[in-house]
Amino acid sequence: MSAQTKPSGAPARFYQAWARSLDRTPFLVALVMLLAIVLARSQLQSGVFTLQELNLVTASALTLMLAATGQTIVLIRGGIDLSIGGVISLGTVIAATRFGEDPGQVALWAAIILATGFGIGALNGILITVLKLQPFLVTLAGWSILTGIALTILPTDGGAVPGWWAGFGYSLFFGLSGPVWVLIALVLFWYWFRATRLGIVIQAAGSSERSAVLSGASVLRINIATYGLSGLFAAAAALYLTTQTGTGSPLIGRDYILPSVAAAVVGGVSLFGGRGHLVGTIIGAFILTIIGDLVFALRVSSYWQPVMSGVILLIAVLASSLAEKSARRQNR
Amino acid sequence: MDLLSAHGLSKRFGGIVALDDASFSARAGEVHALLGENGAGKSTFIQILGGVLRPDAGTITLGGSDYRPVDPDAARARGIVTVFQELSSIPDLTVEGNIWFRREPRTVLRTVAKREIRRRTEALLDRYGFPALHPAQDLRRLSLAERQLVEIAKALAQEPRILVLDEATSSLAARETDWLLQLTRRLAEEGRLVVFISHRMGEVRAVADRLTIFRGGRTVAAHDAAAVSDEQIVTEMIGRRLERLYPERVSSATDRIAVGARDFSSGPRLPGVTFTLHEGEVLGVGGLQGHGQRELFQGLFGVARTQGEMTLWGTPAAIASPRDALVGREGIALVPEDRRGQGLMLSKTVRENLTLSVIRRMSSHGVLSRPREAALVKEMVDFLRIKVSTPEQQADTLSGGNQQKVIFGKMLLTEARVLLLYDPTRGVDVGTKSEIFQMMRDLAARGYAILFYSSDLQELVNVADRVMVLREGRVAATLAGDQVSEDAILRAAMFDEAA
Amino acid sequence: MNAFVARHRLIVLAYLGMLVLLLVTSYFSPGFLSEANLRSSVVLAAFVGIVALGQTFVIIGGGIDLSVPWVLNCAAILMAILCGGQDLPLLWVGPLVLAAGALVGLINGIGVAIFGVPAIIMTLAANVILQGLIVIYTGGLPTPRAPEMIRFLSVGRLGPIPVIGILWFVLAIAASFLLSKTAFGRYLYAVGSSATVAEFSGVPTARTTILTYVLSGFTAALAGMLLTGYSGQAYLGMGDPYLFTSVAAVAIGGASILGGSGHYVGTIAGALVLTILAGLLPALGLSTGALMVVYGVVILVTVAIGSEAFASLLRLVLPMRAGRIGSRQP
Repeated sequence: MSAQTKPSGAPARFYQAWARSLDRTPFLVALVMLLAIVLARSQLQSGVFTLQELNLVTASALTLMLAATGQTIVLIRGGIDLSIGGVISLGTVIAATRFGEDPGQVALWAAIILATGFGIGALNGILITVLKLQPFLVTLAGWSILTGIALTILPTDGGAVPGWWAGFGYSLFFGLSGPVWVLIALVLFWYWFRATRLGIVIQAAGSSERSAVLSGASVLRINIATYGLSGLFAAAAALYLTTQTGTGSPLIGRDYILPSVAAAVVGGVSLFGGRGHLVGTIIGAFILTIIGDLVFALRVSSYWQPVMSGVILLIAVLASSLAEKSARRQNR
Repeated sequence: MDLLSAHGLSKRFGGIVALDDASFSARAGEVHALLGENGAGKSTFIQILGGVLRPDAGTITLGGSDYRPVDPDAARARGIVTVFQELSSIPDLTVEGNIWFRREPRTVLRTVAKREIRRRTEALLDRYGFPALHPAQDLRRLSLAERQLVEIAKALAQEPRILVLDEATSSLAARETDWLLQLTRRLAEEGRLVVFISHRMGEVRAVADRLTIFRGGRTVAAHDAAAVSDEQIVTEMIGRRLERLYPERVSSATDRIAVGARDFSSGPRLPGVTFTLHEGEVLGVGGLQGHGQRELFQGLFGVARTQGEMTLWGTPAAIASPRDALVGREGIALVPEDRRGQGLMLSKTVRENLTLSVIRRMSSHGVLSRPREAALVKEMVDFLRIKVSTPEQQADTLSGGNQQKVIFGKMLLTEARVLLLYDPTRGVDVGTKSEIFQMMRDLAARGYAILFYSSDLQELVNVADRVMVLREGRVAATLAGDQVSEDAILRAAMFDEAA
Repeated sequence: MNAFVARHRLIVLAYLGMLVLLLVTSYFSPGFLSEANLRSSVVLAAFVGIVALGQTFVIIGGGIDLSVPWVLNCAAILMAILCGGQDLPLLWVGPLVLAAGALVGLINGIGVAIFGVPAIIMTLAANVILQGLIVIYTGGLPTPRAPEMIRFLSVGRLGPIPVIGILWFVLAIAASFLLSKTAFGRYLYAVGSSATVAEFSGVPTARTTILTYVLSGFTAALAGMLLTGYSGQAYLGMGDPYLFTSVAAVAIGGASILGGSGHYVGTIAGALVLTILAGLLPALGLSTGALMVVYGVVILVTVAIGSEAFASLLRLVLPMRAGRIGSRQP
């Protein structure tokens, strides 16, 4: 009704609604893309997206998802963590050389790997805060050092994990595979975490560190928690990765550093801190993983896969930055 | 009986003495103004009070016992809450998220209790009669003034015994300022102490029971507000008699039109203004905050997209970017709103900042001439009396007033004779303010055309030749000569003339 | 002189570090300072240095170019295939490949400066897309040998001096001139220290940013061709090490990864440090793993020394003139 009185009323209201929904669900663009890809995929292959496919896709995407979970927290903090590549490499190498067959020993070393991951991350956080260094360089150096250590322990791919450990990806509980349950746990963790004071303080520090400090927050504690969590999730990614590959690989972590950032960014996480949602990152990880299937279904050379993921990455970022811009213009 | 008293406070930063044996005392139930030029030590003092800094020497007693906060949390625990001039709001949290930041009530799962927060927020906003704020709005989408209000709400939520307001009115419009002044009175009547810092004498006069004056890190005087004249205060603040803050207004406007705008619009905040700015004229822009002033300045300078007609010195101008605006003598230059974010490269030297807009002038075929640059820099440092030890000094080591002078110098070097000054005296000390006003008059006398926005109505009244009042992005009135008064500007800003 | 040291403290430190490293190396491996060895170090450092030239400009402008590995690789493969081992085609292939590298940079720059895509994402996407395209193009087959002319440029000598060393020197002079003596250089530092301030000051921000990526694409392509000459052949993955080393060289050379500061003179020291280390460790009988650890530690130590926290520590120990290096007034 008021649309007639003011010619610009309806579009303005539309933009405001659009801006608000982008604020609440920053992964809207990614969700639409994922749906489109899944649709295209089911058109090309016969049938719909089945539960079994969900299990399979999740199994292959979960390493990236775990690595990207830590990355998402760091990005929301306004940093970046390149060292996760080193943590993942080191984790797989330790697992493949120390696990043995005894479940007790496996559990012990799994715990050690997770603790190491957290410790490395915490150290990153301390260096960044105390020496006031740029996260990019500290974690780049960290990646180099950790990869070097992994190479010293195991110069080439090798070692082994127990057979029962390697079967995790295919185990079913109530019709859903282990990885899917892990995914569900991740999402639940996120909804809890972002509502805790720690989650809020991390987001606030990413939004404006100075303001957070003036409000009494401790940057040291925030950074230890942020990068520690990132290391912890990277270590978890390493453990899961060994269930997939069955070996330790001193260089494999490199394949997850930038894709973890890409998954988060496709999912609408801001590289400038303060904004982002793990569900977006998970959608981003799904997109980057499913592209491979799509390429396969199109029956073109598998070499097209990197080209496709590059293009998807650009489309996702462009779409969300344009959407953001159009929302901003109305509401400055 | 003093609630708060400090003795012998000293604080040095490297070789610079910020506080030198300063003292302060104030009672519960009063509004106590803290006055002084920039660099007088006010900020250092309240940062010590707020637990952000620790003094090198000296003692503070609070309510009869020793007070040495180690961090802002410790200060809050003793009931001292500070609203810093530099806002501590977090853009990606909501209004309520900001108000309760780090003090959120929690559920059994250790997550924050959303409904409880909403209830408390509404109760708080209601209790103090805050001007329109919605608890769920994102801070990022609010204006500076609204953020300032959130900051005040955040402080009040902590039920302070002592509330320190550091230039809390500097970004507020007149109506909100009035509300805040009433609020400080009310807080004092509830038995709290409000330490009030402002550069605006009118406000200090309106609320302060007593006042303390700092100069050069020392306490020079403390008075009952009623027992001291404005003149004496200013003299004590600057350590000499300031002949007058505002220069004599001798109109130098000619008939030649420097800027002519017709139905000039930019976005929903500025649906369209029509005005002329003459050669030699200082045209003030007034109105309540957020009624299109910023859009007008940014639009004229090419930062925001615009529609409508605009002429510069009689010829149609299409300015789509600051590059189009900064075209030498025929161009337009801007002193921007955000000194640190838009005006200065803080980590670069004074020299690099001064010449940034005129790099083409000091280079031939893209190759720089250092002697030519040095000459330009010297010219401006001397002309504006910028206090630097060397032009190689980093910009972030300068005081606010000197930083603003660097920005003026950068603008003057472009030789543009149409100047847009957006709140150029915000957070600038009295001495520099007076220099800025004098310079504006001198430039006008030399034929410059100046568009001048200020959040301080007094400045508009005393400096501008004419004042154009904006309301909802349109020209509500243009006042000239005797018509110009604070009262008339406010009336035009708030009410429809026809009604 | 004093002022120069104060302003370029980090660069001076990088060169001091390099000297110390040279001394240490010659102690542990006395043959290291031989003419032949020094020459081969300069040749290896030149590849890093040339890739890092473009990277320096991009980083000073506040960006980063992650696409260098595959721009380099694509240039190498394109040149090898188009020349087919002959010298003559190089006359048109060379400029063509360099232009292609610059074109990739142009696209990166437009994505970053006009469309506002974060640099990390834009150049990462360009990197993977190029990787895919070049693999599709070659089908994974090996390429012909590099033309002799390119071999001369990368391993040839003029008297005792390697040709590529001369080339690198000329490029270094040009880069330093651009940074220190031109309007473009001034614009670049302004854009890197605050894009908003630069915009408000009338700096052509988009053009400046785009130009840095063009330069980076150009130098990566040049390095790719030269590297093909050095190894005799182009192969998949040959560019991979150069992402890390180019960024590391810039960082060790004292530039801030956030932009606004740094200089190519520093990057040269960074490239030399990395190369000397890579030569030192095998001499000590240490593995690749150890080299990576040392690389990491060196980066950490240099950025730590360059940090503000370290500077304020120094100020406590050494009484320096206040004001100059920025003791801040509240």
